[in-house]
Amino acid sequence: MVASRSLFPPLFVAGFLLLIIVLASLVYGAGPVSVSDAFAAVAGGGTEEARFVVTELRLPRTVLGLLTGLALGLAGALLQSMTRNPLAEPGLLGVSAGSGFAVAVAILFGATTATLTTVVAQLGALAGCALVIAATRVQGLGNDPVRLVLAGATLTGLLLALTSMLMLMDQRAADEIRFWITGSIAGKPLAMLQATLPSIAIGLVLIVLVARPLAAMALGEKAAVGLGHHPGRIRFLITVTVALLVGSATALAGPLIFVGLVVPFIARAFSGPDIRKTLWLCVPIGPAVVLGADVISRLIAAPAELPLGVVTALIGAPVLLAIVRAGRMPSL
Amino acid sequence: MKSRRSPFTAFLTISWATLAFVAFGAGPAQADTQTRTVESAFGPVTIEGQPERVVTLYEGALDATLAVGANATGAVITRGGSDVADYIQSEAGDIAIVGAPAETNIEAVIAARPDLILAAPRTSERQYQLLSRVAPVVVSNVELFKSDTWEEETRLFAEALNRQAAGEEVIEQVKTRINEVAELVEQTIPEGKRDASLVRWMPQGPLVMAEGLFSASMLQAVGFDVTDSGLVKEGRPHSEPLSLENLSRISQSWVFLATLNKDGEQALEAAQQSPAFARLNAVQQDQVITVSGQLWTSATGPLAAMAILDDIEAAISARNP
Amino acid sequence: MPDTRTALVNLALLLLLVAVVLSSLSMGTVQVSPLDAVTALTGKADPMTDFVVKELRLSRILAGLLSGAALAVAGCLMQTLARNRLATPGIIGIDNAATAFAVASVVGVGLALAPSAMALAGAAAATALAFGLAGANGTRGYRFIVAGIGIGAIAGAVMQVMLSRVAIDAANAAYPWTVGSLNARSEQSVQVLAIGLVAGYLTLLAISRALNTLQFSDAVAIALGTRLKLTRILGLALSVLLTGLAVSVCGPVGLIALLAPEFARTISRPGKVPLTASALAGASFMVIADLLGRTLFSPLEIPVGIITAIVGSPYLLWILLKPSKRSLT
Repeated sequence: MVASRSLFPPLFVAGFLLLIIVLASLVYGAGPVSVSDAFAAVAGGGTEEARFVVTELRLPRTVLGLLTGLALGLAGALLQSMTRNPLAEPGLLGVSAGSGFAVAVAILFGATTATLTTVVAQLGALAGCALVIAATRVQGLGNDPVRLVLAGATLTGLLLALTSMLMLMDQRAADEIRFWITGSIAGKPLAMLQATLPSIAIGLVLIVLVARPLAAMALGEKAAVGLGHHPGRIRFLITVTVALLVGSATALAGPLIFVGLVVPFIARAFSGPDIRKTLWLCVPIGPAVVLGADVISRLIAAPAELPLGVVTALIGAPVLLAIVRAGRMPSL
Repeated sequence: MKSRRSPFTAFLTISWATLAFVAFGAGPAQADTQTRTVESAFGPVTIEGQPERVVTLYEGALDATLAVGANATGAVITRGGSDVADYIQSEAGDIAIVGAPAETNIEAVIAARPDLILAAPRTSERQYQLLSRVAPVVVSNVELFKSDTWEEETRLFAEALNRQAAGEEVIEQVKTRINEVAELVEQTIPEGKRDASLVRWMPQGPLVMAEGLFSASMLQAVGFDVTDSGLVKEGRPHSEPLSLENLSRISQSWVFLATLNKDGEQALEAAQQSPAFARLNAVQQDQVITVSGQLWTSATGPLAAMAILDDIEAAISARNP
Repeated sequence: MPDTRTALVNLALLLLLVAVVLSSLSMGTVQVSPLDAVTALTGKADPMTDFVVKELRLSRILAGLLSGAALAVAGCLMQTLARNRLATPGIIGIDNAATAFAVASVVGVGLALAPSAMALAGAAAATALAFGLAGANGTRGYRFIVAGIGIGAIAGAVMQVMLSRVAIDAANAAYPWTVGSLNARSEQSVQVLAIGLVAGYLTLLAISRALNTLQFSDAVAIALGTRLKLTRILGLALSVLLTGLAVSVCGPVGLIALLAPEFARTISRPGKVPLTASALAGASFMVIADLLGRTLFSPLEIPVGIITAIVGSPYLLWILLKPSKRSLT
């Protein structure tokens, strides 16, 4: 029953949903532009203000949300498959916190350019990843999902505390860091996008390369080796991929927890245990989740906006709880 | 044998005594033994003599203390900084830091050995009790965010410091300066084009500062019409970060742009990265003025007033040479 | 049964605690010699020293002592119940929930109860929720943990929203609560904590034999005559109670609940649940952390929660990453 699920129906539905959400992202906002005006602007007409808001403010933001959701969703799926742990999530394991801390340090030292922040974020994510992977290699830790999560929670706690201390030391940086660390895709310049595009592209290429070996590893290491794969090498590549993707996403939107957890959960519900199908489904679902959250963040608190990080937590946690309650912990 | 001491000596003694009493009773002796009672938020406070070692737990108090020429030996750091505010650095000299605005380190206050403590308006009762054990504490009872708040605060602190005359002088100086700048505004900026807004720029969007802020009251005193467009809730110093889509709410002709740190230039650069910024009325009329956040968003007092007025004058003159 | 090693360990820890307390009473922005500090305790030193030691420092140290001990005992309990060295009340979101409720009380949202009562309510609510969602496996399944993480995250997000929507004074007043600090405590919550700690500790002593058997599998424990369900419920209830009370005093200083019992286990005789040692170690750690926070960047203060996290996390990571040979997984 589980073995051969067709991918296309869920993929279509998800894709369609994504399209609607993208439209919503272009049409809804915290400002005075009416929905009908915005629709007109999307079509090319509309008032000057509507056109400005749609093309200069909402369009870049939508693209940002798409990329962030894509990156986080895929990274989460990869991490969970590799660690055999449905709870493995870049946010929970400290990868996002590592990225966040690195960027906080950069802000403290006055870094303002988009490129620098992006590079720093990725380095931080890489360090976080390395620690997590090292943790899974330790005997006993890798087999117990709970222990891994606890280790990740500890790492996150440490990094957050360090970040707090940085904020105490320099109030100017504190202000910037505080706003950044709650997670948001509002107001980010297009230059940031350009800086992260290469990493995301490389990440996507790597995913294509590791997808099949990863699926083989689900059968067990020996089977994978028998099929001609090198598990060690694959794990290394996946680490790099996750780091690139999470680093880019964090550089764009700040640390967003739960996205990497919720998206693969939903995807797996429709795709079953095959990692390749899961990855495909994450492609539309990831952006849908992030953009959906972003639209909500604009509508709830007008004329201000609720930070995206808060909305993803408020959405993600109950979804998680609902899944737990329903008893559906899909196996990996 | 008793001489004819009594009447003459008595007369001499009495006259010398009277002379002495007059000489020392008036003048300096008055300062030495004088005790004043000052009305504070926690009732009347008795202060003796001329305080020489003042610890200020409030930026406005530090400002007033230095303005009237008294000696401040301890102060809290400015909000958003790691030392006292820039504009007051040179006056403050090598002053000891006794904590942050929200968290006073009482031990540090003790270490500064004060004979008078000037505390912030919303000091808690518990804090007040503790501080009172160290030295007389005057908590300002002046209502905040009114146009004459700074004036009343200066008078209150001057009285506590026993430098009332200096206090009045300083207030006069500020008022004269206000009139000067007001005239400049009158002459150079047409009526109806004097609406202004005070804004702090964050990447997600601008924070609109409250109308009642000290710097805003200075702007109003010289003739600008400062509004926060109803965006700031009661009791808050500023609004939530406005969505970039709502920039049209900042439609004023003049925008004073601040950051939390000293450098307003960085704020301008950050703001210019957003395409929505260029659409502001003030940007299009080249009437966006970058200002120091420390001075414009958290300082208050006579020295701050002079510095802010200088900034305003410079800004207007630059655009109307 | 008198046990030399345990007694020695406890004595050593007690001496450590006394030394730490004495140091903390003497050190600070105003330097006081230890002798003067002791004199000040009896009220015979000069007024300013008296004031500094008794009014400023003593109450703070006492609060740290009590909350450190409470957190440590709660952690020790939780680890025994879950048979996992890394279990703390914090992972089921208790810390965050208690803090969120306390913050709500401080900023004036919701019920008009004191922060300590609210913190307790928060802790209880989080536990009930986690249990309700975890289903059959109770504390040992990972549903419990997952539920806890979710609850913790929701509490954190709600807290952020609350803080961003209230007046700046209230938000500043609530800041110590969010990172863990001894500055914002109220006398009342400290008193309640003291009562709770003593009562809880005595109860635990009474059931310590049963607790010791929990380390083995359920079957063995039952064979040894332990009333499993009762012990578990009591243990969990006490753990939640102590954590809630401690958080109401010092905010979420969750690492103590991991560090202190781990330390106690390292130096104690294996096979026993080191309740007293944990309590003493926790008390010492807290006071040390507070001392460091007060003196490192004087006159600015680093909250106790941050110090414990910075100092404690590397140690913890080291424990996690090295292979474990002790009886607890």
